[in-house]
Amino acid sequence: MRELGDEIARDYQGREPILIGSLKASLVFISDLSRAIPILHAIDFVELAGYGSAQMGGHEQIRVLKDLDADIGGRDVIVVEDVVDTGLTLNYLVRTFELREPRSVAAVTLLDRPYRRLVDDLPVRYVGFVVPDELFVGYGFDLHEQWRHLPDLRVLREV
Amino acid sequence: MGLDIPVFQAYRGTSPPRFASPAELECAKVLDYYGIPWMYEPRTFVLETDERGRVVEAFTPDLYLPEQDLYVELTAMKQSLVTRKNRKLRKLRERYPDVKIKLFYKRDLERLAQRFRLDLAS
Repeated sequence: MRELGDEIARDYQGREPILIGSLKASLVFISDLSRAIPILHAIDFVELAGYGSAQMGGHEQIRVLKDLDADIGGRDVIVVEDVVDTGLTLNYLVRTFELREPRSVAAVTLLDRPYRRLVDDLPVRYVGFVVPDELFVGYGFDLHEQWRHLPDLRVLREV
Repeated sequence: MGLDIPVFQAYRGTSPPRFASPAELECAKVLDYYGIPWMYEPRTFVLETDERGRVVEAFTPDLYLPEQDLYVELTAMKQSLVTRKNRKLRKLRERYPDVKIKLFYKRDLERLAQRFRLDLAS
C-alpha cells in the first residue's frame, strides 16, 4: 500500500487529485490507499448497478446508483477499483467521467487479471497485484454480499 | 432453441443474431449492458483448403468487438474436451497472426457468471 501511495504522490505532486472509489468492494482499499498517499487529495464515490441486479430489476442498460458529489471538470481523477478483470466496469466509468472533461483520468486497482481483459484501452496506471484465477473474499470483497468484513483478503476454496 | 432475445443497444450486426447457446446470449447481454459494441459471428476464417482450393476446415468465432478489434470464442466444454478447439485456435493464430482472439473457457464463464450473476444453464 505504501508503494502505491508513494508512487501516486510522486506522480501527482502539487496537483491535488481526486480518488473515486467504485462501491462497494473498493471501500476498504480506498480507505487504506488514501491514508498511504502523503499529498493533498479528495475522495468521492460512485456506484453502478451490477448486471445481475439490473436483470432482477428488469432494465437492461447500466444504471448509476450513486453519482459523484464533486465536479471533476479540470481535475485529475484516479479511479480506485478493487479488481480489474474483463475491464467492462472500468471502461464504462472512464467513458462516463471523460464526458465531464477532467484534466486526466487514471486508475489504480488492488487486483488485476489482465488475462481476461475484453477491453484493453484502459488507463490502469497502478496495480497492487496481478492475481491468478481465484475467488477472493474479505477486505471489501464479497460473495453474495458476505465476507466483506474479513480484515484480510482470502481465497475462497470450493469444497 | 427457445432463447429469449432482448432488444440490443450495442449490437453492430446487420441481421439479428441467432445464438447457439445460453452462454453466448448471456455474454452478449453483458457486453450490451456495459455499452460495448459487439457483433455475432461476423467472420469465418479459413484454416485449411484442399488441393482444389476448397475449404476443409474453418473457424467462426462467436463474438467480435469492433472497438477492440477483438474476437471472442466461448466454450462451455470441460477443459479436458477443448483440445480440438485449442488446435483450431492455434491454426488461426498461425494463419492470421494479426487477428486478436480470446478464448473463454468454461472456468472463465463460471467466473463471469459469479461476477455478473449470469444464468448459463442450458
